[in-house]
Amino acid sequence: MSKPRVAIFDFACCEGCQLQIVNLEEELLDLISLVQPVAWREAMSESSDEYDIAIVEGSITRPEDEERVKEIRDRAGILIALGACATIGGINKLKNNFDLDEVKRYVYGKDAEMPHLNTAMTKAVDEVVKVDYKVHGCPINRSEFTYIVRCIALGKEPVIPNYPVCVECKKRENVCRFEYGEICLGPITRAGCNAPCPSAGFWCYGCRGCVDDPNVNAAKDIMEKYGKTVEDLMQKMALFGSGQKTEARE
Amino acid sequence: MNVKKLDRAALDSWVDSLIARQKVYGVQARGERFAFAPLARAEDLRLDYDVTILPPKKYFLPQTEDLVTFKRSGEYDSVLDDEPFVLLGVHPYDMVAVNQMDAIFSSDNYDVHYMTRRKNAAIVVCDVQNASPNVFAGCMGTATVKDGFDVLLTRIGDAWLVDARTEKGAGLLEGVSAPDAGEADLAAREKVWAENVEKLQRHKLNCAPSDIPDLLEKSYGHPVWEERAALCFSCGTCTNVCPTCYCFDVQDDVNWDVETGKRSRTWDSCQLKDFAIVAGDHNFRPNAADRFRHRYYRKGKYVADKIGQIACVGCGRCVTGCVAKIANPVEIYNRLMEDK
Repeated sequence: MSKPRVAIFDFACCEGCQLQIVNLEEELLDLISLVQPVAWREAMSESSDEYDIAIVEGSITRPEDEERVKEIRDRAGILIALGACATIGGINKLKNNFDLDEVKRYVYGKDAEMPHLNTAMTKAVDEVVKVDYKVHGCPINRSEFTYIVRCIALGKEPVIPNYPVCVECKKRENVCRFEYGEICLGPITRAGCNAPCPSAGFWCYGCRGCVDDPNVNAAKDIMEKYGKTVEDLMQKMALFGSGQKTEARE
Repeated sequence: MNVKKLDRAALDSWVDSLIARQKVYGVQARGERFAFAPLARAEDLRLDYDVTILPPKKYFLPQTEDLVTFKRSGEYDSVLDDEPFVLLGVHPYDMVAVNQMDAIFSSDNYDVHYMTRRKNAAIVVCDVQNASPNVFAGCMGTATVKDGFDVLLTRIGDAWLVDARTEKGAGLLEGVSAPDAGEADLAAREKVWAENVEKLQRHKLNCAPSDIPDLLEKSYGHPVWEERAALCFSCGTCTNVCPTCYCFDVQDDVNWDVETGKRSRTWDSCQLKDFAIVAGDHNFRPNAADRFRHRYYRKGKYVADKIGQIACVGCGRCVTGCVAKIANPVEIYNRLMEDK
């Protein structure tokens, strides 16, 4: 069996999720025993346009990026969205809460009108092209990434949690952040990270996006039980939840 | 073996001697709450705890455990954990739950993974000193426990009564020299048991636990299921913290050679949306209300029909853990009683 050829591409992001792949360290050798990297700007000099699997990191924020990711999609048999920017638009979607011209002026000042700084509403990768697999999180969970790679190598569908972070948080026997009077996004956020933030004493920031069918209607009543408002909740959700679509499946 | 009476120093030196001999898990502080964890020294043991975040089931049915290692060619080996250990400070309601789990895991398909751990465990029960904010064990007949454990500890003033109930328990106490408890001590222990029945009733159930199966039989279409579940996040906390919930999911993963691998199981929950998805992507409990109701029927009827006891021991962990504050079984059963 010849090894599948893999190319890794970055769009609007910090490239920290690619860095998580580099950070596999000794496991990198295991990884390349299964797949052949052929393009990976962060980790190798060579580059090829012939690949079976494309791993796309980052969100789509410019018209020319839409064209580029469509070309990648056309060349790849399998496309994997890597990290929160790619899977849900991530922090970059904060921009969508404001007027685009205002955003450009705020960030670039007098250079705002320069053509290469043109910007559009932020999109997750699957808002532009079909995505076959999503590796969630900011950053990704390395062991989940390697599990997904092994599943693809075996031709087996990976099992990605569609339940809230509370499940993993309880298994780690954390004291619930709500008991500390905080708003935590764990009850609506997709698990799979093993709850590192609540385990380290922080509330869940929701970086893996919502479960398919979050109970958003309950928010108001539940916030009231804790002396909070829906606005308090929305403020917490803005970081990773701006403009996020949920995929209710009934 | 007679009941012994130890002062705190003697109790501590007994605990330290256990730690020197074998693996000991005991209740310790975790933030402002408590948890069972590996015990390094007697002074970390908090027998004055009210309730642990997770019940002791995690030592018999771990959150995640490997069941089998396999080769793709078809060969496999069972993975069994047979290291002996002592579980120190289990409250009576949790012991009743372990007894229920034993009945479940030893019948039908005998679960060798659970039962191997269980047989290698020595359990030291400790009568409750401080009631947790949501405990209702007193209503469920689980404020005290009669069997299943090896040693019973009861605090009487500044002293501890240590009561070995099995040969294994007597073995744990080998080398402990302490006076026998007197008549007055044993009478004081009876008083603790009677008081705990009253003390552990932070919520009051308006019926006998044995009435619950019939009550549920008549309540399948009751509006309370929809009403309460409207606030449910389907997060599974109520079942994950429950000492009698034992559902699990089994998954395979392969090593990098893509030839060898392992099969593991992890806690699952009937409250999770995808729990009841079967072949063809059909989900026979697609709505939160279906799942919410299922939990009460599971506790109050299905398991009760199977083992003759209500599968709720009144620990109150679900009441505390539920973010939406909808999981209190007493509120539900009392509501059904009112509308009967």
